[in-house]
Formats: sequence, C-alpha cells, structure tokens
Amino acid sequence: MIVVRLKPLAEICPMVAHHHRVLVVGCNTCAAVSLAGGEKEVETLVAALSLASSAKHETAQFEGDVVQRQCEPEFLEDLDASGYDAILSMGCGAGVAFIAENCQLPVYPALDTMFIGVSKGFGSWQAECSACGSCVLGETAGICPITRCAKGIMNGPCGGVQDGVCELGDRDCAWVLIHDRLAAQGRDKACSIGDPKDNAAKTLCPEWDMNKGHGESR
Amino acid sequence: MRTVPTASANDTLAFGSERQRVYAPCRAKCPVYIDVPGYLMAIAEGRYTDALETVLERNPLPSVCGRVCLRPCEAGCRRCNLDEPIAIAQLKRAAADFGAYPSPVPLARLGFSAGVVGGGPAGLTAAYDLAMAGFLVTIYDAKPKLGGMLRYGIPNYRLPDYALDKDLDYILSLGIEVETDVSIGTDVTVAELRMRHDAVVVTTGLQGSRALPIPGADAPQVLAALSFLAAAACGERPALGAKVVVVGGGNVAMDVARTARRLGAREVQVVCLESSEEMPASADEVWEARQEGIKVDCSWGPTEVATEEDGVCGLDARRCTAVFDSQRRFAPQFDESETIRFAADTVIFATGQSADVAALGLELTPRGGIVIDADTMRASEPGVYAAGDVVNGPTKVIDAIADGHKVAAYVIRDLTQDTSRLEQLAEGAEALGSVPDSMKSKIEPKRRIQMEKLEFYEAVRNFEEIEQGYTEYEAAREAQRCLGCATGARLSHEKCASCLTCMRVCPHHAPMVKAGGFLYFDADMCHACGACASQCPAQAISLEGHSEEEMGIRTQRALEGAGEDTTLVFACGCTPSRPDMPGSEVRTMTTTCLLRASETTVLKALQSGAARVVFAGCVEATCRYPHARVLVEQRVSLLKDMLGQLGLEDRFIATTEAPEEDVHLR
Amino acid sequence: MSLREALEAGRFAVTSEVGPPKGIDVSAMMASAELLRGRVDALNVTDNQAAVMRLSTIAACVHLKQAGFEPVLQVTGRDRNRLAIQSDLLGAASLGITTVLALTGDHVVVGDHREAKAVFDLESVQILKVIADLNAGHDMTGHDLIGTPEFYPGAVVTPGSVPLEPQIAKFEKKIAAGARYFQTQAVFDIEAFAHFMSGARESGAKVLAGVVVLRSARMAHFMNKNIPGIAVPDGIIATLERSENPQQTGIEIAARFIDECKEVCDGVHIMAVGAEHLVPQILDAAGLTEVIA
Repeated sequence: MIVVRLKPLAEICPMVAHHHRVLVVGCNTCAAVSLAGGEKEVETLVAALSLASSAKHETAQFEGDVVQRQCEPEFLEDLDASGYDAILSMGCGAGVAFIAENCQLPVYPALDTMFIGVSKGFGSWQAECSACGSCVLGETAGICPITRCAKGIMNGPCGGVQDGVCELGDRDCAWVLIHDRLAAQGRDKACSIGDPKDNAAKTLCPEWDMNKGHGESR
Repeated sequence: MRTVPTASANDTLAFGSERQRVYAPCRAKCPVYIDVPGYLMAIAEGRYTDALETVLERNPLPSVCGRVCLRPCEAGCRRCNLDEPIAIAQLKRAAADFGAYPSPVPLARLGFSAGVVGGGPAGLTAAYDLAMAGFLVTIYDAKPKLGGMLRYGIPNYRLPDYALDKDLDYILSLGIEVETDVSIGTDVTVAELRMRHDAVVVTTGLQGSRALPIPGADAPQVLAALSFLAAAACGERPALGAKVVVVGGGNVAMDVARTARRLGAREVQVVCLESSEEMPASADEVWEARQEGIKVDCSWGPTEVATEEDGVCGLDARRCTAVFDSQRRFAPQFDESETIRFAADTVIFATGQSADVAALGLELTPRGGIVIDADTMRASEPGVYAAGDVVNGPTKVIDAIADGHKVAAYVIRDLTQDTSRLEQLAEGAEALGSVPDSMKSKIEPKRRIQMEKLEFYEAVRNFEEIEQGYTEYEAAREAQRCLGCATGARLSHEKCASCLTCMRVCPHHAPMVKAGGFLYFDADMCHACGACASQCPAQAISLEGHSEEEMGIRTQRALEGAGEDTTLVFACGCTPSRPDMPGSEVRTMTTTCLLRASETTVLKALQSGAARVVFAGCVEATCRYPHARVLVEQRVSLLKDMLGQLGLEDRFIATTEAPEEDVHLR
Repeated sequence: MSLREALEAGRFAVTSEVGPPKGIDVSAMMASAELLRGRVDALNVTDNQAAVMRLSTIAACVHLKQAGFEPVLQVTGRDRNRLAIQSDLLGAASLGITTVLALTGDHVVVGDHREAKAVFDLESVQILKVIADLNAGHDMTGHDLIGTPEFYPGAVVTPGSVPLEPQIAKFEKKIAAGARYFQTQAVFDIEAFAHFMSGARESGAKVLAGVVVLRSARMAHFMNKNIPGIAVPDGIIATLERSENPQQTGIEIAARFIDECKEVCDGVHIMAVGAEHLVPQILDAAGLTEVIA
C-alpha cells in the first residue's frame, strides 16, 4: 500500500492560514491504514487546527469528512465541499491531486507520501517498491534493489557497505540481503551483469489503460 | 464528522459478525438485564449519576435493590473464577446514594388510563412503565403507604424507609396518582375500577400467611410472619415471650427471627424442615441470623404447638429425614422415633404465604393465585391483568420487577398496538463465557472491598440499617475490580479499514482475522482496555460509553461554568491523587484508562475553555491496563509535539506517576 | 611509461591521488602533485569525493596533464546520468585523458548537498560496460562513434569488506565488464590481503593495494569505526600507541607494507590524505627509489 505520514503542523498551518472554512478530507484506504489519514486523524487535525485558530483569535473553521478512497471518482462524488473555500487532503499525493482535479477549490496536502510499502508491526512500515514500471524482483530474490538500496544500483553492494549495513546507516544493505537469500535458495545469479534500468518503462506510462493494452512503453 | 455514520452500541453487531448480542454474565443473569458493567464503569469513573441513570433504564428501584436484591448477577460474575465477585448490588446502592435521581420524562400523554392494584415492586414497576409510556396511572394500595412487602415485609435494618422512599419519590414524580388504604374488592370493586381505567393491573402479592395445620396452631401466642413483620414495620411492638420459636427455613423466617430479637426476645430459635444445605434462605441471611444469636435447628417437622394454661409452652417436632423425593417434589419423610420439644412462649409461622384475593371475583388457581392467560397476562375479566407474586407465588424482588415490566408491556401493546417493549423483553442475549485460562494470569487478583456494617451485638438493639454503604472512594475502588465484560471493543464493519492495528496493539489476542480479511473480536478474550479503539484510524471500534462523542459531552460537562484559569485533569481511574495546580481551578474527569482521552478529546477540551489539560498518570501498582502505558506515552508525546508546533506547549501537561496517597481502606 | 604500460610490463606501479579544490584556484592541488613528481606513475583525480562539490574532475585532469602528470579520471554515477557519463568520457578522451577509474560514488546525503537528487543511473559495473562499448566504437545503445577512444578502465575493490562474498561477486562482475586494473580500499594486514590476492590473481586483473599512511593511533581508531571495509589490526594500533613519534612509525609501517606488497600484487595506490609530502620518504623507505619518467 501507499505509506503516508502527517506533515508537521508548522507546515500545514501556513498553507491554510488565509482560508475561512476548510474541509479536511481523510482517506479510508491506504492513508487510514498508515494511521495518518483515517477518521481519527481527521478529527485530531480538525481539533488541532481549530484550537490553533481560536488561540490566535481567528475565526477560521475546520470540519472533517472521510471518503473511502480519494483516488476513485465515484467516492469523490460523495464529497460535499459546498460552503468551503479550501480542502486539506489527508490522502496520498494521488488523492490530493485527484480531489484537486475534481473540485474547483484550492486543495492542500496534509500528508507526505512516503513509499509503497508493507507493515512491519504496529505503526511501522518498510518501503518495498518504487513503482519503477519494470520489475526485477524475480532476479533479486524478491528484494527490490531500486527501493531498498539507497543508490538503487543493480550489480551488488557498493563500497559503502559495512557489516551488512548501508553507508547511510539506516538500513540493511539490500545487496547483502539479496546475496544471502539467493544463496539460501540455491540460486546463483552473481555473475550475470544487471543491465542499466529501463527508465522509459515508467516515463512512458503517464497513465495505464488496460483497454488499450501495452502501448509504446513496451 | 459529517457523513460517516457513527455506530451506536445498540445498532452494532456487538463483536463483529461472530455473535449477535453478547451480555456480560452478570447482565444476562439479571431478570431485568441491567447494564451492570455499564454502571460499574461509570462508578469507577466517579460518574454516579450516569450510573444511576443506567440502572434506572431497567430498574426503577435502585435504592431498594441495592440493599435487598438476592443478586443473581453476582453468581455470574467472571471474577468468581478468579477471586471474588464484584459487589454489584452494593454498588447499585452507591449509585443511588451518590447519584442524583433524574427527572423522568414520560412520553406524551396518550389518553389511556391504568389502575394498578398493589404498590409493591411489581405494581410500582408496572406503574412506572405505563406512566413513562404516557398513561395516566393510579396506584391503589390497601396499606397506608406504598411499597408492599418492601415496606411491610422487609425489616428496616435491611431496608430503611428512607431508602424505599427515595425510589418511590422518583417513580411518583412521573405524576402517578396514589390511593392508599383502599382494599379492592371490598372498598372498591374490580368492576368499578374497570369503569375508571382502560386497564387494571393486579399486583397485590401474597398477603396471607400459611400456618401449619397442626394442633395448637390457633393459640393466641401463635403469630403469622407477615402480620408480625408488618406490625414491627409500623413501629408497633407485638407482644412476644422471652422464648420465640420461628417455624420456617426461608428468608422470611430469618427476617422474623431477627426482628423478634430486636423486639426483645431473649431466645430466638428457627426450626425448619429442610437440612441446612436445603434451606431456601440465603446463606448470608442465615449466617447473619446466627451472628445475632439466633439458633437454627434444621430437619425437624413440627407436629404440635404445645400449650399449658398460660398459653404456648413449646413446639413439638419429629425428625425429618427427607424433604423431597427423587423427582425433587415436596414429599417430606419423617422418623417418628426421634422427637423433640422446643421450649417457646411464642411461635411464629413463617411457612409460606398465600394470595388473599378471593374478593376480587377473578378466576383463581387451587392455591388461591390469580389465573392469567400466559400469552396476554390477562385475568378472567376483560381489561384486567395480573402479575407478580399473586400470579407466580413467592419470588425475588427482582423477579417481581421483571414481571411488572412484562405486564406493562402487554398493557401497552393491547391499548396502543406498540409492540416494541414486548419485543425488547423477548430479545435474548448470549452470555459471555467464563474467563479463558490463557487470560487468567493476565488478571490481577483483587479482594472485594467489604462494606462497613454495624457490629451484630450493636445491631440487635434496634432496627438501624446494618450495612453502612460504601464511601465514594470505596465504591470507585470496588467498581474498578470489574473486568468490563462485554463492554469492550465493538467493531463497525462498515467503517473498518482492515488495517489490523487492533490486532497489533491488543495484548490479549481478542481481535482476529477471518477469511476474507474481516476482523472480529473474541469477546471472551477482550479486557475492555480500549487500546484498539484508541488507535483505530477509522474509528470503527468503540467502547461502550466512551465514544468520541460521549467523551466530548463529558468534557463539556466537566468544564461547565469553569473560570478562565481552569485546569482539566484527565485522571486515570487507578490514580487516587490529583495534581496540585496552585492558583488554578481544577476540574477532574476520571477515566478507566487515560487512553480513553483521545487526542481530539484533549484538543477540544482546550478549545472549550480549559486553560490547560493535565494527564494524571497511573500508579504502577494499581494500574488496570499496564500494557496501555506505552500507548499513553506515545499519545502524550504526540500531543506535546502538536501543541509545541502550534506554540501552545504550555497548555498540556503530563504528570509523572503520582504516588498513591495513603488512603485507608476499611 | 604510462600506468597501463607499467602494469602490463609487470613493473610494480605506484599511484596516488589528488583532490580538486572547491573553487577555481588549483595551485594547492598542483603543489601537492609536485611533491609526487617523479615518484608515482599516475595521479587519481577524485570526482566530487565524499559527495562534496568541487572543481570538475576533467578540468583537474587537464591541469595535471598539462603539467606533465598522468591523471586517472575517476568517474562516478552519482551526479550524471548515462548521457552525461558517456559524453564526459568522450570529452576526456578527446583531451588525451584515457586512464579511468569507474566508481558508483558516495551517496549525496553524506555530502554537502544532501538535498540533491542522487542520480545513480549507472553504477560502477555498468560504467565499466559503457567504457567497453565506447572502446568498441559505439555508445551503449549501439550507435557508432566518430573516432574511437582507447580507455584503460579500472575499478575499485574492498578486500576487507564484511561480508566478503558479495564484494567478490561484484569484483568478478567488474572484471567481466572490462576492468583491467583495480585499486583497493586501504589494506593493512598483508596476510589477509595475500589471501585475497591468491583468488584475484586468477582473473588476470592488475591490483594496486590501497595504502593509507597512519599518523596516529587515533586516526586508526577513527578509520576502523567510520570507513567501510577498513580494518587496522590491533597490533598496528598498539605499535602506534607505544611510539614516541607516531608519524615516523606510521611512515615505517606504510613502507614495510609497500615492500611486502611487491611479492603479492602489482603496485600500490597511496592515499596520502593531506600528507603528500611524506610520500617520497615512504617510497624511499620501501626501496622504491627509482625516478619514474
């Protein structure tokens, strides 16, 4: 799923500062599952912004609503933004963009979209996919080097690895993991050189219409 | 929130799709299904009025039942398997003692009128329900005051008049009319009542005493239990000899014996047919009677009241070898060779009660009770209903109350065609199972808090109430022992985003995933700690009484009329001490666990006028939900961070663990 | 004799490195190069080393070449995509710079422009393949070049990497992709290095052992802790700690190691890190006294 997290309030407040009546819209799919954009988080943000506004003796009003998924036109039809002069979306970037496309009001993001990832436990997620458009996981033992290697490189660990940890110090070296898992599975792909990534696969996919099939990108 | 529907406790399938409706066993065992965990939770949080209102939803006699209920609920308490049951009835009394009785608001007048004959528990309950439903109600009673057996049968040391009057005042505040000193059948006929009212409900109970048909039973020193108790209740002092023998093994016999002690009898002896194991009296009553110096002799069948010229001199009896046959039918067997004479100046028969309603002109059973049609509760005359002991024979107070609800529901249905009350009564509920073994180790044993009582040597001197009631502190402590069975997580599938957060934060493995990715909760496992609800992003999980909305209302209430510099303290139920905020008005809102005060609740409190909010943390030794502390800490840091970013960091304070005050527990 | 010729002729080669300045005044860089004149076969020119922005590598190479040094052009994938890398390589070749060293590059977040977009369109192995393509007269997409360069491509290897196996696998990939010589991360333990070389020899690639001149025990500790793949043995640290003149001791340790390398590998790459003036002294002590033309 898409993993998102709340922007600092210090960043959100100025975005909506000049509006009078703001609708905060949550998204009950990925953003809720990320514990950042469900009904609970919407209510909390509404309460926080309302408090900030009244503490400054301002009259801006904030109200909340949640849609099932901000990335579906049918769900957005349920959204009634009449009477508001701005929308603060608690969806991923796609949600923000899609609301902006479907309503006339200025739309602001309350969240930062982090990555496509998996749950590691309560309140913890890990990036697993970069939506590169040309999956190589079959050759890399299911560990994405594009995503989990800080440099996204294709041919094994760089010189920065130390005791299996990335030179950035915040993650395991993806290539050490790949090497270990391939070895554990008795697969030896060490000697075939990974070609440079086909970046066009993604570049040429501004949209994907299965009715039209694979187009120019393949 | 505008568009997302909030599931209320009632419209939700309580625990996901697995079970339709699950009650805590205490509630399931209560004949009127009082929401016991609900009112215990309210008491634990210091909300006595909420607790009282919860009880009143099902029982208009909380002050009475808080004292005299035989508490079938406690037998179901899931703590029975761990340590001791919660003092459910005594806490009901605490609700009545410390809560404010609300002003009942009846439905609009319907133009129907009902006459209720008999102002005991069944009649009062029926009158209350009918009045609430918009009926004009008149209660007729043969005695000078309402209450029936509650006033004239149960002695004052168990149920003082003021305690009964508290409930009566509440019931009568509905505008119910009362005609006392009126005997129906003699002063006014049933036919006349039928002219006055659209429905007549007969709930006259059992006013006659059954004496044993043995020689000497008609001697002047042989008394009947009920008239004896009634006289004592009216402050009369019936003439008693120095030696009193009470015949009977039920609670009435105990009441009679103990009353006799208080009236000056030097020796009081209870003689009963049953063995000590078979005695119908509750074990507590027998124990207390013995403490008051009353002798209880079991397994004797009286044969004759022995008399001399001066009157009664004793009671002769033979050994009873068996009371019941193999089918549990009453068929006493005697050993004629073993006999005894109990010396006595006075003999009081407490060997059963009978209905005394021949004058009503209704069809009666061979034992003298009123015959009703089981499907309608109607008696043989049109428009006449009957309920309570006059129909069912002797039952518990709470059973009479249940029957009062039932008959009112039939009357309402027949006259208004509104079947909702009947349907509500017919609804069954599954009782939660016992605490699974895997959970037992996670529940800390806690002793039941004993209520202060008069010493028995002191108690027998007069009719002062023996049980002194809990203090508020004791009541809260005792209520905190409640496991909150079946008040835990309620899941709205409609809102659930299947994020599995509940599974990850629940230390008891109550939430589980079913095939298809649906969550459900195993109510047997749930501790009602609220960890899941506090983290659920979709707000699909709610705890009874602790929805965001309810917490908001309570916050508002706590801040009502607050001055400018008011500190709102959210105190964990386990924290007896309160932070000292010099110069600030302090309002306190106790919650079962600080997790129930969400970020939104705190932020809204700040907006609603609290100058600052304080989280008074829990005391490790008494913390009810130790696992929740890490989540509380996360919430504290999130709130601090948010308010810090808004430049409002001084408006939220989390106190460190408060040291427990040296509160003396009696 | 160029570095390539020296290595192919089997002469024990010596390289060192210089860092381009942050700015356009190259005099300090040229001064440190002067300290090495006649004592090294070639000078490596780092490419925005440690992701810190500096004067361009190619420009620095040109300065050195004009002053009569043989520069080794370091090429990383961090800052340039495949177009820029090929284009820069062609540009370098057109200026007579053909000895190149392909690296992936340190991540931008460790440098002084941490918010920059990290490119890494190609990494070391792929850059080596690209160089092979260019040497074959076409670009990586197969389009012919007008004029074919003759690069002498090299790469790096870290014999002390933990775990070592993925490093060795990558080393083999680099050879397969066309690396002709390697310089290693700093090594100190000659026996462990000899063990690594016994495997590396079979590949036929030339290996220059990385040498860092330790100037104190503190420096050794720091490197052990912070630099991936470096392990200064406890014995060396103890020697430095005992020494009254740690710098002199460090020079002796480096010299002895270089001397021992003569039997093990094909040359040394001295990373003087600000102590270029000590290099002649070290080489003298290691018996490498002859002046390189």
